[in-house]
Amino acid sequence: MILAGVSLGILVVMGLALLSAYLGPTVYDRILAVNMFGTKTVLFIAAYGFLTGRPDFLDIALSYALINFIGVIAALRYVERVYSVEKPGGGADDDTA
Amino acid sequence: MIKSDSKPRQVVRPVITRLLMPYILLFGLYVQFHGDFGPGGGFQAGVIFASGIILYALTFGVARARSLLPPDSLQPLAALGVLLYGAVGVASLFMDGHFLNYSVLSSDPVQGQHLGILLIELGVGITVTAVMVLVFFAFFGRDEEGEV
Repeated sequence: MILAGVSLGILVVMGLALLSAYLGPTVYDRILAVNMFGTKTVLFIAAYGFLTGRPDFLDIALSYALINFIGVIAALRYVERVYSVEKPGGGADDDTA
Repeated sequence: MIKSDSKPRQVVRPVITRLLMPYILLFGLYVQFHGDFGPGGGFQAGVIFASGIILYALTFGVARARSLLPPDSLQPLAALGVLLYGAVGVASLFMDGHFLNYSVLSSDPVQGQHLGILLIELGVGITVTAVMVLVFFAFFGRDEEGEV
C-alpha cells in the first residue's frame, strides 16, 4: 500500500520533471530536468520492483543510474560543442586536456 | 587541487569519472556473470562495460581512450566473441548433440548447460563491448582528430 502510494507519487513528480524539461527556457534547464527525470526513474524502478515482489529490479535501477550519468555528460559535451561552433573563440578552451 | 588537469574548472568531472568508472566496469562484470541467476546477460553487460569506457573517453578525450583500447585490438576482439559463440555450437555438434545443445558439453547435463551459457554469454559480451566502443570511437572521434 505504501509502495503503491510512493510509486504514484514518483510518477507525478516524473510528469512534473517532463513538464519542466518542456518549459525550460535554456538548454541547461532542460538538461537538469532530464537528469532529474532519470533520477526519478531510478527511484520508480526500485519502488516498483518491491511493489511487485521482484527485488531483482534493483540491478536495473543501478544500471539506469550509471547510464543516466553518462548520458547527461554526453549531452553536455554535445551542447558544449554546438555552442562553441556557434560562437567561434567563445568556447574554444572548453576541451579537456 | 588535482595536479594532472591543467584547467582548474575541469575538476569535478575527472574526479567523478575516476571514482565511478571502476564501479561501472565492476557492475558490467556482475551483470555478465550473474546473468544466469538475475536480470542481465552478455548484451547488457557489454553495453554497461562499454559505457564505462565511453565515460572515460568523454572526460579524458578519445585519444587517451584509444591508447587505452586501441582499435587494432578491438576489431579482433569483436570477431573473437562471435568465434567463441560459434565454437561452442560446433563443439556441441561434434559431441553428439545438436548445434548449441549445451547439455552434451559435460558429463552432467546441468553442468554442461551452465558451462555452455557462460561461454555463449562471454562471447556476446566481448563482441558487444568491442563493437560499442568502436562505434563510439567512429562517431565521437570524427572531429577530435587534432586533439592530443
